[in-house]
Amino acid sequence: MSTLLQVDPTTVANGINNVWVLVVTFLIFFMQPGFALLESGQVRAKNVGNVLMKNMTDWILGTLVYFVVGAAVVGIVGGLTSGGDIAGAFGHIADSNAWIGWLFGAVFAMTAATIVSGAVAERMNFDAYVLFTVLMVAIIYPVVVGFTWGGGLLSSSGFLGGALGAGYLDFAGATVVHMCGGVAGLVAAKMVGARKGRYDSNGNSQPIPGHSMLLAVLGTFILAFGWYGFNVGTQATILAVADDGTLTFMGSALGRVALVTTLGMSAGGAMAMLTSARYQGKPDPLWTANGILAGLVAVTGAVPHVTWWGGALLGGLGGFLVLPAFRFTVDRLKIDDVCGVFAVHGVAGAVGTALIPVFAVGGFALNQFVLQVVGVAVIALWTIVASAVVLAALDAAVGLRVSEEEETEGLDEGEHGVSVYPEFVPSERRDTGVAADGGELRTDGGSDVDADTGSPAPAAETGVTTDE
Amino acid sequence: MSDPETPIEMVVAYIRPDKLSDVKQSLAAAGAPSLTVTNVSGRGSQPAKTGQWRGEEYTVDLHQKVKIECVVADIPADDVVDAIQDGAQTGEPGDGKVFVLPVESARQIRTGASGPDAV
Repeated sequence: MSTLLQVDPTTVANGINNVWVLVVTFLIFFMQPGFALLESGQVRAKNVGNVLMKNMTDWILGTLVYFVVGAAVVGIVGGLTSGGDIAGAFGHIADSNAWIGWLFGAVFAMTAATIVSGAVAERMNFDAYVLFTVLMVAIIYPVVVGFTWGGGLLSSSGFLGGALGAGYLDFAGATVVHMCGGVAGLVAAKMVGARKGRYDSNGNSQPIPGHSMLLAVLGTFILAFGWYGFNVGTQATILAVADDGTLTFMGSALGRVALVTTLGMSAGGAMAMLTSARYQGKPDPLWTANGILAGLVAVTGAVPHVTWWGGALLGGLGGFLVLPAFRFTVDRLKIDDVCGVFAVHGVAGAVGTALIPVFAVGGFALNQFVLQVVGVAVIALWTIVASAVVLAALDAAVGLRVSEEEETEGLDEGEHGVSVYPEFVPSERRDTGVAADGGELRTDGGSDVDADTGSPAPAAETGVTTDE
Repeated sequence: MSDPETPIEMVVAYIRPDKLSDVKQSLAAAGAPSLTVTNVSGRGSQPAKTGQWRGEEYTVDLHQKVKIECVVADIPADDVVDAIQDGAQTGEPGDGKVFVLPVESARQIRTGASGPDAV
């Protein structure tokens, strides 16, 4: 009989579990291009560069801020709202063993932050957006995590959760990440104001179609792919070590989160497709794409806790609600939420998380249900108040909105000086630097006669000559 | 039936893209709602813009405009020109221009009507 290789089972389990966490972290990071495509497709061609800049800024500034500040705020809020210790809040910065866990938390934070950009697309001042996303990652989102996963207020050891004898259930962040982002987006869209032309003089909404449904649907699939990391990866333990040293593969738990995630997204897409066909007469690709995401959001908090059919029902409900929730936001609340982030991330996250006890594997528990509803309300209320305060301060400091002229011309030109889809770029340049007749740029109307006054209009201030 | 001698004229206008809905409205108010529009690029009195790519600049002197074609017979072309100006004017260089051209003949494809009746 051969001798078994002597290994410490804890080391094996830790190694495999941590590599698994890193792999899913990279998958969740891949949701960032998904969001970038989804949002780019839903805006006009003149604002695509601005959307891309916002998505990149969410990631590059967000990670820096979350490492230095955000992750510590999680610990501080968690400790303060549970009577716990806050001394180690900044401990992750010097402890290299904490960095895999920090990165896993960071990709969730950046997902929450990037949701907001879809709501405020096409008219928000870039400086104000950058400052908002920094504060979202430094304070608004970490406080929500502190309340929940950080062991604070709503957890079983927190003041509210302890009082109700339960811990708030939100497995991968349907409310902690998605509803937080969706509600912050709604508040921001309200405070920035509707895009020019979104409502007519009677206050009726006028559609502003995005420039590429192809990009939007492609982004949806990429998001759904990354979402497997988000939901399945939150089942971070795939090898468990028992006291006697035996290793157990957590196949059942992994299988449940993978299956419920899949059924949820499919039911959500199917219900949104049916709803759009019923409401508009024909099945609509963008609503279906939104429904896939809403189905995913709806089960994100529920995946390990609910039955497979309960997950399908939750996802279907999330998808069904997308269209009415979006129409309510636009037509009743009069809020121009460009990409429907409140309908997709806010409403689906709230409903899916509140109803977890109804479909729970272990049966319904009233105290759990009460805590779920209270938890959703607490997170929503905090996000609304904090976002409103931050945005009001930014409005006073830098202004939330670009000028009307810039909005007409497009934020790509106004905020970034670029054109994402340039036309008629000169194929060769002359020595004078401009390609025009005679080597100089000539315009035939630089001293155009003003129709009203009969006097010459001011010459264009570009240093070009005119030949009138 | 219109008088067969009524002149047919084509009004061609180049306007700012974001003024199209205003112009459609003013044309309808003037009684000439039919039109054809095309996305075009062109150069006139509007100052050139500078584009940039990796820090190198290029000149964009062709601006995106919308071209409108509107053929009228019973409605005076001047009314159509006025309507377009009302709808499209901002007062800044780049508002565009309107031209009126004579049209030799016209035929409505569905009915086969000719001349002013086809318009």
